[in-house]
Amino acid sequence: MAIHRGVSSYSYQNLIFDRKMDHRDFIRTVREDLDTDGIELIDETFIDDYPFLSEEFEYDWKNTIARYNMKSVTMDIYLDVLQFRDHVMNYAEATERLKRDIIIASRLGFENVRCLISIPVPVIEAALPTAEKYNVRIGQEIHAPMPLVLKPDTPNRLHFHAPIDEVDRMIEMIERTGTKHAGFVPDMGLFQHGLTPIMYAQALRSGAPEEAVAFLKEKKGTLPNAELQTIMTEQFGAEIVAKMGRLIMTQGSAEPKELLKVCPYILSIHGKFYEMVEDPTVPGGYYDPSTDYAEIFKYLQEGGFDGYINSELEGQGYCNDLPDAEMLDEREQVRRQHEMFKALGAV
Amino acid sequence: MPKKTTVPGSLKNYFCDKCQKVIGFQFDVRLPRYRGNMVSLINGYYVNVDGVEYPQDQILFILNGKGPRTFAQLKSAVWEHWNYRDAATLLVLKDGGLEKGEHSVIATVSNFEQYGYMPGKDEKRVADGGEAVTAQGTGFGGPAEPMIMTIE
Repeated sequence: MAIHRGVSSYSYQNLIFDRKMDHRDFIRTVREDLDTDGIELIDETFIDDYPFLSEEFEYDWKNTIARYNMKSVTMDIYLDVLQFRDHVMNYAEATERLKRDIIIASRLGFENVRCLISIPVPVIEAALPTAEKYNVRIGQEIHAPMPLVLKPDTPNRLHFHAPIDEVDRMIEMIERTGTKHAGFVPDMGLFQHGLTPIMYAQALRSGAPEEAVAFLKEKKGTLPNAELQTIMTEQFGAEIVAKMGRLIMTQGSAEPKELLKVCPYILSIHGKFYEMVEDPTVPGGYYDPSTDYAEIFKYLQEGGFDGYINSELEGQGYCNDLPDAEMLDEREQVRRQHEMFKALGAV
Repeated sequence: MPKKTTVPGSLKNYFCDKCQKVIGFQFDVRLPRYRGNMVSLINGYYVNVDGVEYPQDQILFILNGKGPRTFAQLKSAVWEHWNYRDAATLLVLKDGGLEKGEHSVIATVSNFEQYGYMPGKDEKRVADGGEAVTAQGTGFGGPAEPMIMTIE
């Protein structure tokens, strides 16, 4: 039983966009930078002519995985429900797409597919026979602002379209069918409570006054967001607060200890992060100022999680207004996160 | 979200061989996100060059080795993928094209690629007329900052 390390291709999105990294470079980079084997793939990033996976890509993918002794852990799949343009895809069509994705994942040697949280449970259930036949597990993503545990103050509606009790509905389906081929891929953004230096820096560049940013830096996390917003509105005015609203209101939708509830169903994990910062107390050590990974690892270990946590770097967007040389170094950021994973007990 | 989705250096006038004259200008665009999607999901492009907005029926879309297509024609490309690392070319009809020199180009996409079901929005988007194409783009429209490009 162990927590293993991997990387999602999402982490290197700028390198991939700039055509500086293809699928072979990606696999090799994870091995050479991080000395680990976990690979997570965003399907439509590298699979040309999707969903018509070519034999050439299939063989090349598997060959590269074999060459560097890697493991295809999870393939991230999507659901563009307006594909046919003259109607919204119905559940039967959505199921067909999911089945096709499972077969693609199987051909590439993946253990899991990650489907979006907005994929209805009946669609997942209908695709189970295909998942079982090809031995690929379907992992429904759990992404903020979805709660893990419903509480009296849980909002009854989300800004995206999944029922608020989706996690419970999924568990009910898994238990009722007894399937071993469905579970969850939780995104650690569920536990994001704070901000990172690149976020403050971007707020300053986009015209937020220094006093307001310094105030936010000092107070974020020390009092409820709504209260912080009220105080900042009084002090700095509504216009400035509206501009900084996203930072002020950033809040996870779950607590790390609630991982115990879903732990038996976790297939793999999205190690979401925005920026890793040097830990002044530990030489060569790093931490994530926005998310308490020590707590997360504590409960994953207590819950007996045995599988991969795959880096998912998402801070690029906060640096895209900077000159190329000052943008986030994706490889270095992922390397730092893996130093933290190892320090917390990942193998 | 990538920094630039308009491809630097790609602006040029479009010479029509058949009519033996310049009928417009063209430049290349990339998808504004981290993955490809079906061509059918491209609803349109907001194009503004030197402060002039060009209506949808003056913009044609070139990708995958096929000739210029209107956005209405793209709707039927339901099994054709816009591969993530490929650039598409937008051909903007304008008699005589653009003058030599620098031009300020803004292009944001209206793309119906999305995270699963979005009840309410979905029905509006499949309805006749779809959704208006605006400077902000639709969904993940990409950066609306102008790019300065030169016609040699």
